Amino acid sequence: MTSFNDTRHLWALGAFLAAVGLVGMVVRRELVPDDFGRQGPYRASALADVAARPSLFQADATCHACHEEVQHERAGKPHEAVRCAHCHGHGVEHVATARRAAEDPSVSLPPAAPWDGDFLTKLDLYVTKDRATCLACHTAVVGMPADFKKIDVAVHLEEQGASEPLAKDTCFECHGGHDTAP
Amino acid sequence: MSLFELPIVTSGPAARCASGGCATGGCTSGGCSSGSAERASETSRREFLKTATTMTLGAMSLTLLPGAMAGDEVPAAALHPGGPAANKPMYGFLIDTTKCTGAGKCLTACRVENGVPEGQARTWVERYVHFKDGRVEVDLVPEIGYAASGEPQPAAEDVLRAYFVPKLCNQCVDAPCNQVCPVHASIKSPEGIELVDTDRCIGCGYCVQACPYGIRYMNHETNVADKCNWCYHRVMRNEQPACVEACPTGARVFGRVDDPESEISKRLATLPTSVLKQHLGTLPLTRYVGLTDEVT
Repeated sequence: MTSFNDTRHLWALGAFLAAVGLVGMVVRRELVPDDFGRQGPYRASALADVAARPSLFQADATCHACHEEVQHERAGKPHEAVRCAHCHGHGVEHVATARRAAEDPSVSLPPAAPWDGDFLTKLDLYVTKDRATCLACHTAVVGMPADFKKIDVAVHLEEQGASEPLAKDTCFECHGGHDTAP
Repeated sequence: MSLFELPIVTSGPAARCASGGCATGGCTSGGCSSGSAERASETSRREFLKTATTMTLGAMSLTLLPGAMAGDEVPAAALHPGGPAANKPMYGFLIDTTKCTGAGKCLTACRVENGVPEGQARTWVERYVHFKDGRVEVDLVPEIGYAASGEPQPAAEDVLRAYFVPKLCNQCVDAPCNQVCPVHASIKSPEGIELVDTDRCIGCGYCVQACPYGIRYMNHETNVADKCNWCYHRVMRNEQPACVEACPTGARVFGRVDDPESEISKRLATLPTSVLKQHLGTLPLTRYVGLTDEVT
């Protein structure tokens, strides 16, 4: 019968495993954020990080807070659902400047720039009476709902006997601006 | 007896015995009795391996399980990605394809709001055109609208029917994109909205592959995953998502579905709605009016 004489190996193995475990715990402590797992399997403060992003797209209510007369002009009209931003750009800088101006009288609000014809990302404010803004929605496109008003400009202008059919602001001559009638 | 002297059974009746197949009759010809010695040693080695594996995996799981060492109380509802946690509002999104005119106002609003790089999108609008000869063509609404883009349009007389289908994140209750994230950068918020922790995301792109709706993308400016999150930052301030705010026709409706007085609740109560790819069982929260079989 042979006695068990490999105790030294067991101690060495145990020490090795303990060292691995210790290193593992230290590494895990360094890598896992403190608030990890507090609300679920994620970094809890990430929710606040995402929520901290500023709201850039201005709701009509933001514009109407200062431009009350426009709100009254548009109330109940067919184009009430068209957002301020669709014709005037996103106005992010305008609103930010207006808020600064409300606190600091030395800040002045620059007037809105004329539209440069670019439909895409517009953070500043612009004014336009370009018919392209109307036709962006009202040009007949395959797929539109049947009851949505579609305009063929050439036909429409001829029907109405428009005096200046090529003028950019030709829509606004008859249909007005904020109080656009059908 | 060293390890190398152990009989290695690779075939024959004993092998079947070792794998538990004796009862099927493979050993009745006498192979079992002659192999009983091998089986004994084989079994003890299997037992050892089983025990060792269990203990190793058990020890590993102790260090890997999230929160196992933090000692914090984790609410069960938050761990289970089954919709919103208790006492949290429940949001819903409704797309009415019969109202979308394809003007593309939502697309610019989303890009501005969320800083989406050019050429990528968190939301888009597809157009399905059914021709009279049976063909169905799908194209994407240009961000500036068809009128300004000058793209050639199909002749109206060839078209049987056509409609627009806006696409955005479905905020699946059982979200595949959430499950595959190796670094827990995919977050199912307590409100049930799927978010990306951009600080933790390593940009491996697994979630982009996993989403069956193609919603996630690798933001080529930040090189981390990005996705529609129903404008979580706006929703947390009781504002509407940017695309909803921008839609002039009411094709996009967002609101609390746990409030019977909200517009979305009223519409959901009166309109027949469906979800995209229901057969996948991801339980989307975004619901659609007027989906056809062609829309996936």
